[in-house]
Amino acid sequence: MGSTFGPRRAFLRSATAGSLLFPGIIESLWADSGDPLAPQHPHFPVRAKNIIFLFMTGGVSHVDTFDPKPELTRRHGQQIEANHPEIKGRPGYERIYLKRPQWDFQPHGRCGTEVSSLFPHVAGCVDDIAVIRSMHTSHSNHYNATLGMHTGSFTFARPSIGSWVTYGLGTLNRNLPGFVVIAPQQTYAGTQVYASDFLPGAHQGTLVVPGKEPVANVAPRVPAERQRIELEALRQFNEEHLAARPADPLLTARLQTFETAFGMQMAVPDAFDFAGETAATLAAYGLERAQTTGFGWQCLAARRLIERGVRFVELIDTGSSTNWDAHGDMLTHEPLAKNVDRPIAALLWDLKQRGMLDETLVVWTTEFGRTPFNNTADAKGREHHPWAFSSWLAGGGVKPGIVHGATDEIGLRAVDKPVHVRDFHATILHLMGFDHERLTYRHAGLDFRLTGVEPAHVVKDLLS
Amino acid sequence: MMPPKQIASIAAMLVVVWLVPLAARGDSAAKTIPSEQLEFFEKHVRPLLAKRCFGCHGGTQAEGGLSLATSNGWQQGGDSGPAIVPGRPEKSLLIDAITYRSLEMPPADEGGQMPADEIAVLSRWVAMGAPDPRSGDGAIGGMTVEEARGWWSFQPLPAGPELESRDIDALLEREWLARHLAPTPPADRRTLIRRATYDVTGLPPTAEETRNFLADNSPDAYARLVDRLLESPQYGVRWGRHWLDVVRYADTAGENTDRPLPHAWRYRNWVFEAFRRDMPFDQFAGLQLAGDLLTKDQPTPRHAEGIVATGYLAIARRFGHDIDADIHLMHEDAIDNLGKSFLGLTVACARCHDHKYDPINAADYYALYGILESARFAFPGCEPKGQPRDLVPLIPQAEVDAVMRQWRERHDRDKQMLLERAEATKRVFSPEARQATQVVQSGAVAEGATVDLAPARLAVRKGEVVLLAVEPNASHGADTTLVELWIRETAGPQRKWSTSDIIDTLTDSNPREINEATWSFIELTKDGPVFLLDKADSLGGNGALKKWSLGDIPSVLVNSADQQVMVWTTLPAESFFVHPGPNRPVAIAWTSPLDGEIAIEGRVADVHPTALDGVTYRLEHIASPATGLALVEAGRLLAQSVPAPEPPPAFPVAYAVVDREVAKNAHIHERGDPEKIGDEVPRRWLAVFGGNEVTTSSESGRRELAAWITGHPLFARVIVNRIWGWHFGRGIVASANDFGARGERPTHPELLDRLAAAFASHGFSVKSLHRLVMLTDAYQRASATPVAEDPDNRWLAHFSRRRLDADELRDSLLAVSGRIDLSSAEAHPFPSEETWKFTQHSPFTAVYETNHRSPFQMVQRQRRHPFLSLFDGADPNASTPGRQTTTVPTQALYFMNDSFFHEQAAALATRLTGLANDELRTTDVFHSLFQRDSTAAEHDRVRRVLTAYKGDTEDCWAAVCRVLLASNEFLTVE
Repeated sequence: MGSTFGPRRAFLRSATAGSLLFPGIIESLWADSGDPLAPQHPHFPVRAKNIIFLFMTGGVSHVDTFDPKPELTRRHGQQIEANHPEIKGRPGYERIYLKRPQWDFQPHGRCGTEVSSLFPHVAGCVDDIAVIRSMHTSHSNHYNATLGMHTGSFTFARPSIGSWVTYGLGTLNRNLPGFVVIAPQQTYAGTQVYASDFLPGAHQGTLVVPGKEPVANVAPRVPAERQRIELEALRQFNEEHLAARPADPLLTARLQTFETAFGMQMAVPDAFDFAGETAATLAAYGLERAQTTGFGWQCLAARRLIERGVRFVELIDTGSSTNWDAHGDMLTHEPLAKNVDRPIAALLWDLKQRGMLDETLVVWTTEFGRTPFNNTADAKGREHHPWAFSSWLAGGGVKPGIVHGATDEIGLRAVDKPVHVRDFHATILHLMGFDHERLTYRHAGLDFRLTGVEPAHVVKDLLS
Repeated sequence: MMPPKQIASIAAMLVVVWLVPLAARGDSAAKTIPSEQLEFFEKHVRPLLAKRCFGCHGGTQAEGGLSLATSNGWQQGGDSGPAIVPGRPEKSLLIDAITYRSLEMPPADEGGQMPADEIAVLSRWVAMGAPDPRSGDGAIGGMTVEEARGWWSFQPLPAGPELESRDIDALLEREWLARHLAPTPPADRRTLIRRATYDVTGLPPTAEETRNFLADNSPDAYARLVDRLLESPQYGVRWGRHWLDVVRYADTAGENTDRPLPHAWRYRNWVFEAFRRDMPFDQFAGLQLAGDLLTKDQPTPRHAEGIVATGYLAIARRFGHDIDADIHLMHEDAIDNLGKSFLGLTVACARCHDHKYDPINAADYYALYGILESARFAFPGCEPKGQPRDLVPLIPQAEVDAVMRQWRERHDRDKQMLLERAEATKRVFSPEARQATQVVQSGAVAEGATVDLAPARLAVRKGEVVLLAVEPNASHGADTTLVELWIRETAGPQRKWSTSDIIDTLTDSNPREINEATWSFIELTKDGPVFLLDKADSLGGNGALKKWSLGDIPSVLVNSADQQVMVWTTLPAESFFVHPGPNRPVAIAWTSPLDGEIAIEGRVADVHPTALDGVTYRLEHIASPATGLALVEAGRLLAQSVPAPEPPPAFPVAYAVVDREVAKNAHIHERGDPEKIGDEVPRRWLAVFGGNEVTTSSESGRRELAAWITGHPLFARVIVNRIWGWHFGRGIVASANDFGARGERPTHPELLDRLAAAFASHGFSVKSLHRLVMLTDAYQRASATPVAEDPDNRWLAHFSRRRLDADELRDSLLAVSGRIDLSSAEAHPFPSEETWKFTQHSPFTAVYETNHRSPFQMVQRQRRHPFLSLFDGADPNASTPGRQTTTVPTQALYFMNDSFFHEQAAALATRLTGLANDELRTTDVFHSLFQRDSTAAEHDRVRRVLTAYKGDTEDCWAAVCRVLLASNEFLTVE
């Protein structure tokens, strides 16, 4: 298949330029604003061109990872009062007691940001990271909080943040989807977290499931020349059909998927073929050669996709079961942290050594934190905690080596410079060059935006 | 005509006002209000407040701080002060507002000013002194008693006039007129037959069916088309599949190994058949909840059907490693599904705490829990517990018992005969043999200990025997002992033998020849050796465990899995065991094929530590060539004379539920934790609907539950809304699984109520409802691209264009390729239960190719079927009220490169090439795929593709077929 399109290097260049299918037609289409995935300029110039969004499923405990609370250790077992959504009216939770963190914190790097022993490798990268210790969210259910973190809406299906970004920026490689989600299993709220909803279907996230054949049916079954004939005829049929049904979004979106699919036949196998990676790179990600699963695989695949012009790559670490939802025992955080710690550090290192970190915004987050208390003094687990959690940003335009905001001394509430999920989204969009109030889409007579109708603020302190 | 009894019961349903139990009402004020005033309030005021005011002023978080849901609410009033001054309408803000003096309530966007007669009712009530029994002290779950009582979806169905298709159109017209939406014209007849055929059968109309319909100019042609389609057996498959979406049907259990459910298909097919027969929907629902009980006294076939129907309950998802340890989650899944499916209520939200929004308490949840827990659910097996059990026989137990008794008698007789023959081998150990026997070494293995044999070298002759025997010590019974024996020829070819060679194929034969030597598995009696005759290729449902025995208790066994298995003790991976009983030493005997020296090593380990006194082992050498040869010969003769054991008779069984012997109430699990047991809750109906208790104490209460559910107005509302949604792409209530506080409100409340009432009063006939809906103008209108004023097409001024769903797409490909098998499929080709070795590390996973219709495909819970997941198939783990439609490039890749897609296109091309020329082929394929004539331009385009493609006719036509099968026109229903 390579021979038809020349050597791989040439292929990569031309792929970046546009479609391989009908170069003439598509070049003109490409410039035309009618193609929803044509590259577009953001509202203002910025460094970041791509995003890697690392989502930890189930609710990572902030007080055990990125938010040191010595006072919580000191006051362990002390009874407190809190009008908390997870305990309100809940039998057995009439009295609650503080629960100490189970891992030690140490300062790391030149900046001295404290990170717990759950993340020894990420701790080594703190000089590149801006930790936000004052995150908070609007819901204490997984489904709603996960939906909120991905779409800004805590109740209804809305376009995913990845869809908004490709809607705003288009993509740099027409032969790969603009928005790729690599997930071994579905997270809460299922496909809604990467759905384009009312945005054009081209902005839908494409699911990649780690394994030997991450995207099914990418191998062509007929020679390229013949496939061109078929696809050109199909395009003509579909355009004629569409002409009698103007502006039907589903029909239009489907027409475009064939364009993308054609290019994917070459671009996908290339992106997921790690044969050209050095032993050192594989080792850094904790990968054996020919390994095709694991979070290390997801991280390296993310770098390779970003390298090829994919705009937004989301990595989901686990599915909606056996995740960070440590009601029963905080010790379950240990294998989950081990699963992601080294690959994430490798990703940051790799992006940096390739000069890509400046152009790539790396986001690490979860849907909510975990309570610094529980209903008995010796409880092993923690409950859902929407009032405070930690996230971090790195790369593209982020001020490195800082800690932003703070929770109170027991990690209960985000008290200093609180950052709501809406503010987090506004800041991410800002780092990508967008005024979140102007990145809108008209649907059902209203102008929708990722950050919704309530006020949202860009966190200026996080910008470099 | 409807039987009188049915009419009576429906009438009762229509007029009965459900009662909130007094304990929860807290309406103590009711006692002091004169009865005629109370009646006026109940009859006129309460419904009016609910209808006109509660949208904004109900509940606890009311607009402007004013709640009209309780008397306390209007007494306290809102931001503008008390709403009512009893006895003084002219001074009451409420009256001021509804008469549009200073305030204007309800505001224009909430329906505008109330009609004069309604204003008069409220004015009169205030003048009366505003008698109001609603003190508002009580609450059920997330609603006040008042809210719950007034909740729209709980209201009795109207007893209004008959509903006809044109009445539906009138109700729809009212709404789109009000919104200034222009309706589209009627769809053309080609569109109509395509739409109706896909809708009713999930398949495209054939070219002939289209031709016939177009040629039929009679005024009732369309009505007869609808009738014909509804009579098709494919209707049952299509609409049965809709129901399977709702009940999250799957062919695997969903626990950690995702075990197959080899008998679940009976339920699946029963659903298809029930729709085909137009079984009254209340009966359909009742049988799923309690079919075993409801058909108890009926003839066997009817009773069997009732049992199969309860497969609905049995297919509840199973969780975890040990299903029994997480059985409360299975019950949650079952309660969640029955709440949503039949009532549109999220009952399972009340597992850990009272419902946050709807009037459902944790006690309600555990009342239903007790009912379900009093039934025994078929058990699918799981990693620690092996094989399925509690499957329900579909023939009477007495018949099963009789057949089994006969089989057992024959079995025992054969067994006895065999044992007698086995006796004969004892003589093999002749006095000479005994004299020639030397104990090479022997020793004791302490409880739980491991002993390595001292390496030994022996000179042997061909036919001599090396034998390792193990027996328990004095104090106890059988003991599981791991043995390893390695024998090596020290010179010449240096052949090797080892017990590990036999592990994978232990049960192939006894004696067992490997590499010219022969292994014999025997028990040693005082009189001599007895060959083990009974083999099993799995133990406790685990195919990794194989055994030889005399009778049931294994004497020699292996674990062939690559990981340890926990049974009565932990059996290490890939190991060989003997299991001697008291006075029954077990031996493995090796008969030499060589004359020369051998080296022997080995190991004996007691792997079932029980704090007793371990085992003794003995390594013997029988230096008599005749003995080994005689042993092997005797064993062979015996094996030949053993008839293949008659397999136990197989009975048709269902993956279903039946009542346990004793019904029991459940206790509340505090915070949903099954280890924190709270108060006992009687088995009863939801408190908000009256809380009736189960009266038949010997039964689980499923019989009553079925009656309560099917007798409640929610039942008809919810299913009618589903059927409407499956026809139009959107329910009157968009949240088809949630008619509670978090659900959507109906777009056309009156229409929903009248449809539900008509459905109930016509015997819950689903086919009648189809006719009613499909004969409306709304259903027959042309489709259109959604307009900005109504992007979701809520008001149905046009028909919604839709993509084929996953099942329709695959079936359409098979239909036009001519390969579709329209017969009813039965069981899936699962591996037989005896071979199952599924673990959490290697769970069951399979995709079975079939040309049967898609609803017959094997659906797994833990691994989405790749095709169904690509095209938004139903979720096998959670109720799917309606399929989504996503459009992604990976779907385009399917139309470009999938092998199944290519095969169907090729088969279609082969058929077309049978026609005389390309023009005829083009005409034919457009008729087959699109039910329309091809245009001249399209003929041109096809010709151009054929020319450019440069291949043989079949290749070229396969390419054309792929193009057309991938087109939007093929994939879209207008």
